Amino acid sequence: MAKKVFSVIGKRTWRKDGVAKVTGKIKFTHDISLPNMLYGRVLKSPYPHARVRSIDVSEAEKIGAICLTFKETPKVKYNERLVSVPEATYKDRTVLTDKPLYVGEPVAAVAAETEEKAQRALELIKVEYETLEPLMDPEEAMKPGKPLLHESVVVADRVVKVENNVACKLEISEGNIEKGFGEADVVVEREYKTNRRYHLQLETKTVICKPEIDGGVTVWCTTQSIHNTRILLHQIFGIPLSKINVKKAALGGSFGSSIQTNTIVPICVALALKARRPVKLVYSREEDMHDHCCYQVILRLKLGAKRNGLLTAGEMHVIVDIGGHQIQAYPLLGCMAGWWVSLYKIPNLKYKGIAVYTNKVPSCAMRGFGNPQVTWAVETLMDELAEKISMDPLEFKLKNYVGLGDIFWGQGPTVKSVITSCGVEEILRKGAEMVGWNKRGEPREKRGRVRRGIGMARGFHTSGAGGPLAGQTVDYSGATVKVNEDGTIDYLTALMDCGQGDYDTHAKIIAEELGVPLRNINVVLTDTRSTVYDVCTHASRATYVGGAAALKAAREVKGKLLEYASRVLDVNPNALKIKPDEETGQGVIYIEGVPGKSLTIGELASLARHKNWGTFAATVSLRQVKCPPHFTGYFVEVEVDTETGVVKPLRIVAGADIGTVINPGLAEGQMHGGFAMGLSMALHEDTPYNPESGDLTNKGFITDYKVPTAADMVDVEDFKVFFVDTHEPTGPFGAKGIGEGATNPVAAAVVNAIYNAIGVRFYELPITPEKIVKALREKEGK
Amino acid sequence: MYINRVNTKILPVEFKYFAPKTVSEAASILNRYGEEVRILAGGTDLLVKVKQRLIEPKYILNVKGIEELRFIEDRSGEIGVGAATKLSELVGSEIIKEKLPVLHEAAEAVGSVQIRNMGTIGGNLCNASPASDLAPPLLVLNTSVKAYSSSGERVIPLEKFFLGPGETVLKPDELLVEIKIPCPPEGTGMSFLKVARTSMDLAKANVAVAIKLDGNTVKLCRIAMGSVAPTPIRLFQTEKILLGSEFTDGKIERAVQTASEEIKPITDIRSTAEYRREVSKVLVRRALKKAYERVKEGEING
Repeated sequence: MAKKVFSVIGKRTWRKDGVAKVTGKIKFTHDISLPNMLYGRVLKSPYPHARVRSIDVSEAEKIGAICLTFKETPKVKYNERLVSVPEATYKDRTVLTDKPLYVGEPVAAVAAETEEKAQRALELIKVEYETLEPLMDPEEAMKPGKPLLHESVVVADRVVKVENNVACKLEISEGNIEKGFGEADVVVEREYKTNRRYHLQLETKTVICKPEIDGGVTVWCTTQSIHNTRILLHQIFGIPLSKINVKKAALGGSFGSSIQTNTIVPICVALALKARRPVKLVYSREEDMHDHCCYQVILRLKLGAKRNGLLTAGEMHVIVDIGGHQIQAYPLLGCMAGWWVSLYKIPNLKYKGIAVYTNKVPSCAMRGFGNPQVTWAVETLMDELAEKISMDPLEFKLKNYVGLGDIFWGQGPTVKSVITSCGVEEILRKGAEMVGWNKRGEPREKRGRVRRGIGMARGFHTSGAGGPLAGQTVDYSGATVKVNEDGTIDYLTALMDCGQGDYDTHAKIIAEELGVPLRNINVVLTDTRSTVYDVCTHASRATYVGGAAALKAAREVKGKLLEYASRVLDVNPNALKIKPDEETGQGVIYIEGVPGKSLTIGELASLARHKNWGTFAATVSLRQVKCPPHFTGYFVEVEVDTETGVVKPLRIVAGADIGTVINPGLAEGQMHGGFAMGLSMALHEDTPYNPESGDLTNKGFITDYKVPTAADMVDVEDFKVFFVDTHEPTGPFGAKGIGEGATNPVAAAVVNAIYNAIGVRFYELPITPEKIVKALREKEGK
Repeated sequence: MYINRVNTKILPVEFKYFAPKTVSEAASILNRYGEEVRILAGGTDLLVKVKQRLIEPKYILNVKGIEELRFIEDRSGEIGVGAATKLSELVGSEIIKEKLPVLHEAAEAVGSVQIRNMGTIGGNLCNASPASDLAPPLLVLNTSVKAYSSSGERVIPLEKFFLGPGETVLKPDELLVEIKIPCPPEGTGMSFLKVARTSMDLAKANVAVAIKLDGNTVKLCRIAMGSVAPTPIRLFQTEKILLGSEFTDGKIERAVQTASEEIKPITDIRSTAEYRREVSKVLVRRALKKAYERVKEGEING
């Protein structure tokens, strides 16, 4: 296929919000304040499992605070994430609770004139708790006879009893695993335990609610979905959707932590409705760390292969320690199965996933939604298997990977589609050459106190959650494009840019399609009233789905522009083209090879007004019937100090197939950021619990939640990113996603590199210097 | 119920704030309010403690506006540093870089740029954290500090300054005004090493070494460590092993072994006692060798 020449796609341009961000002028929800506004604070449970015997707010009220307890908030059971269909949405929580299930669960809230006063009021509330047996271990929690955290949950308005604290489960099997393992020459089985990471998004959870005179509310909040926030508030408070307006502000990162409507949003709404005044509620970092974390899993994986390098069978058993509530545990179980079966072709397989309630902070999606966990296990076990059959892991992986023409499970077993673009082989071949894969050496050949190792892992993530069938996941987007009377364009989308630059991506797609200069596209800061529905910025879907909606709207507008221009210029509309013109700063409509016959979009739009033809605009809603995987591969060289156990990354080669690259700078940034997060998963992050208090060991303090800083990363010159040349036929201008694929295989690559350096494998993350020193001493002792 | 009291965002404590311009003014405030005053010399530790409600001071005395406490002076044979000198000023000082490179290295290892722009040398010492990055190099430099009160001033050897975590020998009416650092004798080799979770962290363990040789005989040997005892400590037993003897691998290993027995590490959120003991050996060994290399480099270059 002939290479298309683009005007803005693939070009390095300034971010539209770049100047506002680097000068500190952009407004995050944190920065918004309203006249007559009160400040809220939340009273949190100090116990991991308790029942509130009594609560007394009189002292707090005496100093002038508005107080709200579980007694006054709606009793509606809800699930804060509205991405799945009702049959896959497990509801188990209310706005405030009298039975807290983790240290930090909100039981009451206050609002006062200042945050300091609200804090003092909070300290005056007296609560008497009856403490209950805390269940801090998922395998313990599942044992019969343990207290139930939830007696029942609500699924699609049905009350479902909970047994043995199992929140939900899923089993899948294909082929015959007994036969499959029987055919294998080598079988390896391992148990993996991942860390309980915290998202550490820059902006802590924040919400402002302004009650309106018509009984409605206006809400600003940290969210990845303004429409789902609106629908949830409607479900809880019964306010008609037309009277709830959720407004956008810049979002300071999320990494999945605001796919669901944040816990404090309905609390703030209830406070504002009671106070009849606007209320702002901002979580401190410590509160934020007590609010959400990533899914921690115990994963047992068994794979069988023949000496010829073909996989014959696989079995995966996953126990997910979800914490006190389920946000998307059931979809997670499906997705984890999907990530597994979409990495390598396993003819006979069995999967069992169980999500278990424990008295810990509730878990939610975090960049990759179970994929980094699964890929860590699979990509390191594949290396072990390769070693056992004496095959280069790279060749072993290339022999078995799921690629072009194969079935891809983009969102678990209900969202399947055929892969139509794939650059896996090029990523691995080119990366291997760039890093010097064949010169990496064997662990046993390495000597000295500081040893180097090279590791590789590959992965992918879905781009969106669409499919040919409706499935169990809601996935469509929408867009409005309108031409202003001077030829500039207003673009309205409900899709949230979490900070990764989706608005720039969409603006480029529209500019490319309409043939206008990029600066003429104005991305409007919208709200739920001015936009059609978009489900959420998750599943790396903003480019592939949101961008496709923007393209569809732009295409419709372009059709109208050409139709009217054809009348003005007196030619067939099919003969017309549009291109950006630097001189006029406009898109110019012209006929190829016929000079003189042209007009700018501004002239046309202005003419349309004077002639009363109307506005050139289009509003569309779009469902993608696929969610193509974007593929990545990381080659990582590390240095392990065998005396201190410190692991230092030295050199990174990162390849990606994301289809057409729309923003090279931002795409490379995703790879750099994705690496930092994956490295941190491998080496640093965890939120362990103090068995006595049932609280986080670090009590939520960021001082004791370490992630690598810029100084801990490799030099930029030693971080090579390359994009392979692919084109996704169903993507906007051939594009796919990148955000999650950029991090999914990283931890596995780092772990494989550590093995290559010191010959030790670790099955529990994070791999701290303490663990490395201990393991090396034990190895030497043998 | 700390979960509803403690955070790093809101400061719901009311206090009276003083920002004197002179040391004598500051001293008279300290004299008047004694234990009820807390000195703000950067705030990177104090404000965190107040937000965490570990202390609720009635009065806060900011000394950062006292110009006479901000200096770095080269007085032949001694470097004088004003207590309110910022860590970033230490890092940027040509005098420190040239005369006390080990202090330059340690100051650069503290926190982040933002922390170093706020924190001061006096604040770092008075906070008396066992993990202070400045304390070990200052200890091996035989530093003393000057305290000032309305009733006079006194000079305290840094070795005797720390009592325990967060505790010093300063009396409630005393203000730390100056850090007096003797320049090490010509030909001294020095080094500073630190192990932490990331580059922006408190030490799991840190070490500073100063040695001087006559031929290959150790004539001066000072070793100090942080984060391995309730206060930053000099390792006198370890020093004795090396002092007066030949600088050999065998001696180094004996010193390393003694160091691991001399320290009293604990298990906390940053690391384990076991790892600290293990990594202390590595740090002492590497710091000694690095200091030795610098002695040799000095001989070649000098």
